[in-house]
Amino acid sequence: MALMNGAQYIESLRKLDTKVYLFGEEVKNWVDHPMIRPSIECLAMTYELANDPQYADLMTAKSNLTGKTVNRFSHLHQSTGDLIKKVKMQRLLGQKTASCFQRCVGMDAFNAVFSTTFEIDKKYGTEYHERFKKYLEFVQENDLTVDGAMTDPKGDRGKAPSQQADPDLFLRIVEKRADGIVVRGAKAHQTGSINSHEHLIMPTIAMSEADKAYAVSFAIQSDVPGLFMIYGRQSCDTRKMEENADVDLGNNKFGGQEALVVFDNVFIPNDRVFMCEEYDFAGMLVERFAGYHRQSYGGCKVGVGDVIIGAAALAADYNGAHKASHIKDKLIEMTHLNETLYCCGIACSAEGYPTQAGNYQIDLLLANVCKQNVTRFPYEIVRLAEDIAGGLVVTMPSEKDFKSTVKVESESGMTVGEWCNKFFAAAPGVPTEDRMRILRFLENICLGSAAVGYRTESLHGAGSPQAQRIMIARQGNIEMKKELAKAIVGIKK
Amino acid sequence: MLVGVKFCGGCNPRYDRGKAYEAIKKELAGTAELVIAEEGGEYDFLLVIGGCTNCCASYSQYHAKHGPIKMWDEAHMDDVIKKLKKQEE
Repeated sequence: MALMNGAQYIESLRKLDTKVYLFGEEVKNWVDHPMIRPSIECLAMTYELANDPQYADLMTAKSNLTGKTVNRFSHLHQSTGDLIKKVKMQRLLGQKTASCFQRCVGMDAFNAVFSTTFEIDKKYGTEYHERFKKYLEFVQENDLTVDGAMTDPKGDRGKAPSQQADPDLFLRIVEKRADGIVVRGAKAHQTGSINSHEHLIMPTIAMSEADKAYAVSFAIQSDVPGLFMIYGRQSCDTRKMEENADVDLGNNKFGGQEALVVFDNVFIPNDRVFMCEEYDFAGMLVERFAGYHRQSYGGCKVGVGDVIIGAAALAADYNGAHKASHIKDKLIEMTHLNETLYCCGIACSAEGYPTQAGNYQIDLLLANVCKQNVTRFPYEIVRLAEDIAGGLVVTMPSEKDFKSTVKVESESGMTVGEWCNKFFAAAPGVPTEDRMRILRFLENICLGSAAVGYRTESLHGAGSPQAQRIMIARQGNIEMKKELAKAIVGIKK
Repeated sequence: MLVGVKFCGGCNPRYDRGKAYEAIKKELAGTAELVIAEEGGEYDFLLVIGGCTNCCASYSQYHAKHGPIKMWDEAHMDDVIKKLKKQEE
């Protein structure tokens, strides 16, 4: 199969029998569900742009496995140039959706599993790497979306997987058979899991021998028996259920998605198993996946930031405040913060290096610095956006009020809509509806459903801030810096 | 004259690359045919339309007899048109 387009992708989801639960009930037609569809539209954009000559240079790549043109989301990075184009692609998609487009986790998992399985095989004589290459060829050939799933529910954070009161709190192998394994557990916070054709599972932390049942990596189709998903709520999510909802959504087409993915004794055939009890490689896989994903945030969040900066500038225009010097300065600050994140994404890519397996890994220190900044800067960007937009972001009446033809019982005889449009008009020539649309967009991204992707995901996605600080401490090369200081001041020992 | 066109990926373009392409195509109508470049195609020129000074589009996979012409700014449009018109003369 050639590259799918957006419509083909959406139709391909209808062929799956993925089990989805939302508000306590199973959703049979989840593809058309108003709370789920915006996230599907985001993913569809990763397909649509790959077919557009204006974007194909970033959206596609030549597969090192088959020589064919593939969607970059299923590509193994072959150079630092590929790593840079990955970040640029993510910025582009952030700009086009103003949301999390969900397909990065799969791409980051492919690259981490590819290089790690090579090194497992080298040590243990296993055949995981060849299995994985065949699997990835299948993914590339069918242009699939794969959820790279790492985060376990984790239970008591003070205890290792094998020490948990409930052994299912980390996903584990419960049975080894001649033809495969049976797994049980869950993966939490799974971005785009419902919209994924397949799941590629990885362990969530470095492990000891006692935890070897938890050292497991495999791929599985999303609709196999025993596998199901429970949809994660987002702030203001039921606005999407309102009839004819448009302006009040802020972003009426795109959105993000997270779910709890449960494995209730799921069979995994051997040809889909890429790690089975090699606990000493769990840490390597985690570190590599996390490194790639921390690089990713230097692209995707920057693209969303571009839209936020544009929206804040429009809000200033529509409010008639665009000439104020402090407004201009705040837009400069937002741009500075956003481009700093991009600098980090590009830098950790440019400093990448080839793994033993041949694909390219990002520079770990710079990728962790990138993500550490992402845990902070988007919060300042949305603070400045709210500052520029004004309090109306959170106090204005609904779209229905603006369009209401109900006459108010008062002397003027005007309708509710006429009152709203009278009092919320601002800069001359700007339709009140346009002003409302921009303010609702900012409301959505600052504290509505899109804040899940832009704020909290920036904080905790790809690892919470402390995880990056641990990596920065490990990679920071402090001893060399001490020697530099000694040399400058003349300390001999 | 057949001109293959390759766009950069458009992550942060400083102008509308698509509009620039259409404008150049219109201006060169009757002089040169502009088509989206495809691997295996033979072109007289390859026009690489970048969105910023980096002009990072990959183009080594395409064959053009007279090599690439690069642009990364709206202001380059006139030069591109002049160069291609001159070649046709």
